[in-house]
Amino acid sequence: MKNKKLLRQRRNAFWSALYAAVIYALFYIPVLVMIQFSFNDAKRNYSWEGFTTQWYGKLFSFGNHDLWESLVYSLAIAVAATVISVVVGVLGGIGLKKFEFRGKKFINLMLYVPIVVPEIVLAVSMLIIFMTVGIRLGMGTIVIGHCTFCIPYAVVTIKGRISGDNETLQEASMDLGANRVQTFWRVTIPSIMPGILSAAFLSFTLSIDDVIMSNMLASARQSTLPVLILSVNRTGITPDINALTTLMVLVMVAGMLVMSGLQRLRRKREAREMAEAEQRISTLRG
Amino acid sequence: MTAPKKRRNPLPAIAQAGPVSVWMVLFVTVPMLFIIYISFMSRGTFGGVEYTPTLTSYETLADVTYFAVILKSLQVAVVTTAVCLLLGYPFAYYIARKSADVASRLIMLLMIPLWTNSLMRLNAWMLLFQTNGPVNKALLALGIVQSPVKFIYTDGLVLLGLITNFLPFAVLPMYSSIEKLQKAMLEASADLGATPATTFRKVTLPLTFPGIFSAIILTFIPALGTYTITDMLGGGKVLYIGNIIKNQFGTIRNWPLGAALSVLLLLITALLIFLYSRFAKIEDMEVL
Amino acid sequence: MKKALSLILVLVMALTLVACGGQSATTPSGGEAAGSKELNIFMWSDYMSDDLVANFEQEYGIKVNLSYMNDNADSITKLTAGAGDGYDLIMTCDAYMESLINGGYLEQLDLSQIPNAKNINKAYWSEQNQGYCVPYLMNYIYVVYDTERCPIEITCYNDLIRPEMKGQIGSVDGARNLFPIALIALGYDPNSREESEIAEAYEWLVKYNENVVAYGSTETNMVNGTISCMLTYDGNTAEAMAQLGADNTLTVAPFTSDPVQLGFDLYVIPKGAQHMDAAYLFLNYICDAQVMADNLVENPYSCPNDAAVAAASEEYRNGPAFDFDYKTNVFFQEDVGDAITIYDKYYQMLKVG
Repeated sequence: MKNKKLLRQRRNAFWSALYAAVIYALFYIPVLVMIQFSFNDAKRNYSWEGFTTQWYGKLFSFGNHDLWESLVYSLAIAVAATVISVVVGVLGGIGLKKFEFRGKKFINLMLYVPIVVPEIVLAVSMLIIFMTVGIRLGMGTIVIGHCTFCIPYAVVTIKGRISGDNETLQEASMDLGANRVQTFWRVTIPSIMPGILSAAFLSFTLSIDDVIMSNMLASARQSTLPVLILSVNRTGITPDINALTTLMVLVMVAGMLVMSGLQRLRRKREAREMAEAEQRISTLRG
Repeated sequence: MTAPKKRRNPLPAIAQAGPVSVWMVLFVTVPMLFIIYISFMSRGTFGGVEYTPTLTSYETLADVTYFAVILKSLQVAVVTTAVCLLLGYPFAYYIARKSADVASRLIMLLMIPLWTNSLMRLNAWMLLFQTNGPVNKALLALGIVQSPVKFIYTDGLVLLGLITNFLPFAVLPMYSSIEKLQKAMLEASADLGATPATTFRKVTLPLTFPGIFSAIILTFIPALGTYTITDMLGGGKVLYIGNIIKNQFGTIRNWPLGAALSVLLLLITALLIFLYSRFAKIEDMEVL
Repeated sequence: MKKALSLILVLVMALTLVACGGQSATTPSGGEAAGSKELNIFMWSDYMSDDLVANFEQEYGIKVNLSYMNDNADSITKLTAGAGDGYDLIMTCDAYMESLINGGYLEQLDLSQIPNAKNINKAYWSEQNQGYCVPYLMNYIYVVYDTERCPIEITCYNDLIRPEMKGQIGSVDGARNLFPIALIALGYDPNSREESEIAEAYEWLVKYNENVVAYGSTETNMVNGTISCMLTYDGNTAEAMAQLGADNTLTVAPFTSDPVQLGFDLYVIPKGAQHMDAAYLFLNYICDAQVMADNLVENPYSCPNDAAVAAASEEYRNGPAFDFDYKTNVFFQEDVGDAITIYDKYYQMLKVG
């Protein structure tokens, strides 16, 4: 009887893992194809013509400064948009959860508008309003545009992480004599850290891949990488773009691995310290 | 919701809720009001808007061709959303049942492909499925088909593009709400003699409903408004409401009509949010 | 108290934002007698060789900032929304010129500052446009088919709507590219302003649409075997033929009487441009015969610059994409004024299906 149950569990585990693998495949197949075509020996990626590494060579000879410039520009915008969105989002998430004020319902509703309205609509209306007010298009306007759809995601994510425990913790902190600012930095922020990380992650992801806002609110000087890709797509993607995107993914994955490695080290250290402390307590007791 | 606060120093409230409120009013409310406003104006011959009030745009919308487009767009968005939910829920469940450590890594694994440009991913699907592409070559070599199948520019490929693009955004909120489910509760249900199916139906599903509904909103509405995916994979032949809105602000240069179509989308959204608010508090909506 | 505070906060926020926006803009270069150090160009991507830009930058010490459009309408949207002054040169096409001039969106050109403009064939540069634009490259929009895969030989537009062609055609998009061929097929003026004629053209295009597999990406679809016939630009054909190399079985359709469209990509200086001097230098630079001849290697499109074509490589001049004998049997896209709304309406109907 017990054996049978174990067997069934094993079988279930196998099928569910297989299912997850299939879903992951759905996400990774295009990425792998994209990487494959960064080695395509053709001027444009119409079809596979043979293997070459020349595109990486071309990339690193910096002959195509357009690509690098637009990558740096996209990254700068994504970082700026992420920082602003997270700051405004953290404050807003806490504020909207904690305080009652007139118009709160309205703001809550407004937060869902950028999530649900087609981006082109927001982009065009922002373009016209910027023009009317006389704000020059540039990196600033793209960042504002990106923040406008990142902030709602940040607020919603962070609000989801604030639970009743936070309130109790905060009150405990204040009772223990910490002032509001100390409480904010030492108690509130650490307790919602996972939410903040998710928000940052989402904002960055949304910003780095945005085409529509970036196209409409773009400066005269620079195109972001996605906008460049969209315009190149008209005549056919060139393999050097695949090469650049491949490198980008590799760098990001490497960064992620380093971060998770550091995290694991820290967790190990904490566990060790905890164990030592427990041992000390038990020796004291003993 | 917290109990009403006593009157006290308003500074913290302003410092915290202020920036987001101002931002939303300046960059969301104002542009949206403006869109509603120009939807009641006339088109300028050469793009832009002539500020003479008219209902022309809405009269145009009443035309049966637009009705057909909206219906078709809704249909595609519904199918996309349904597939994303059906595929995404078990997947989210699978991740959420793992230990926190493994789960966070699996979520990362889900996000990595999103860092590659979405157009590049769509392009990869095209390369894979094109007439002399690897899929067709494999099918020919295996003798499954005699001549290449034309996959590209079909509704099927458009759907594949939509699903792979939106699935992560359906998984994240569902994962988030399944993860919060107390394991103890599921065990209690099982101990009380409920079959797994009953536990799922009576406990898991209702408790994860906010996540499911968030997933619906995060998939359905963007799928309804998208145009890059349908443009690229559909070959510009089949137009959905997103393409038409984009065209009004682009090649066709009828901004008021584009605005009116946007207002229509806003209304559909409002309806969805209203429905949501009947089932759950909107404040409980989750993203990740 | 609360209200006052929030009001102050709102004001501070608004000011910061405006400041942010202001910062990113260039400081207006009012009295730049010494000459501008930068030039902002808005154009198609992949349409001008990197070397040309690099050489210009080196020769004049001017940094060229290129940004790219995805659609001819992008430049129109920017201009009409009032964002034109962020650019010094904008690429547009001949069909929009009249409206752009009448709308007052463009700076009038001083041709004495562009001496090399004498190289440009005046047949391709109308009197009224001369004051406002400089033609860059030009495109024939013609029919190309694969002699091995295409079911029939194409000699006129009406062949495109024959039932045998179902699922064979790739096509350029856009109301003002599609309607003229239908109007010609029906024997009307390609720039007709008559609603009844445009409506008939719409009926023709419905049949055409049934045969079309995809709009855009014509050369990709041709090379990978998705289509066997395309209505496309000469430069794109050159790309496709080059990629096929020795396997090339594409041929320019031997049209006998139907004229083909000849379109121009032009540079205009938007009203309020901040680096006019640099814009003039650049316009003069690209009109230079050798500079343009070199540019044609990477961008094998037809060129209105006669001196450049004469100086261009054999390969360019004898390219199979330009091997057709009806080069003078062409029509131009003219500005159709208010009738554009009629075109838009029927184009919309065509796309909605």
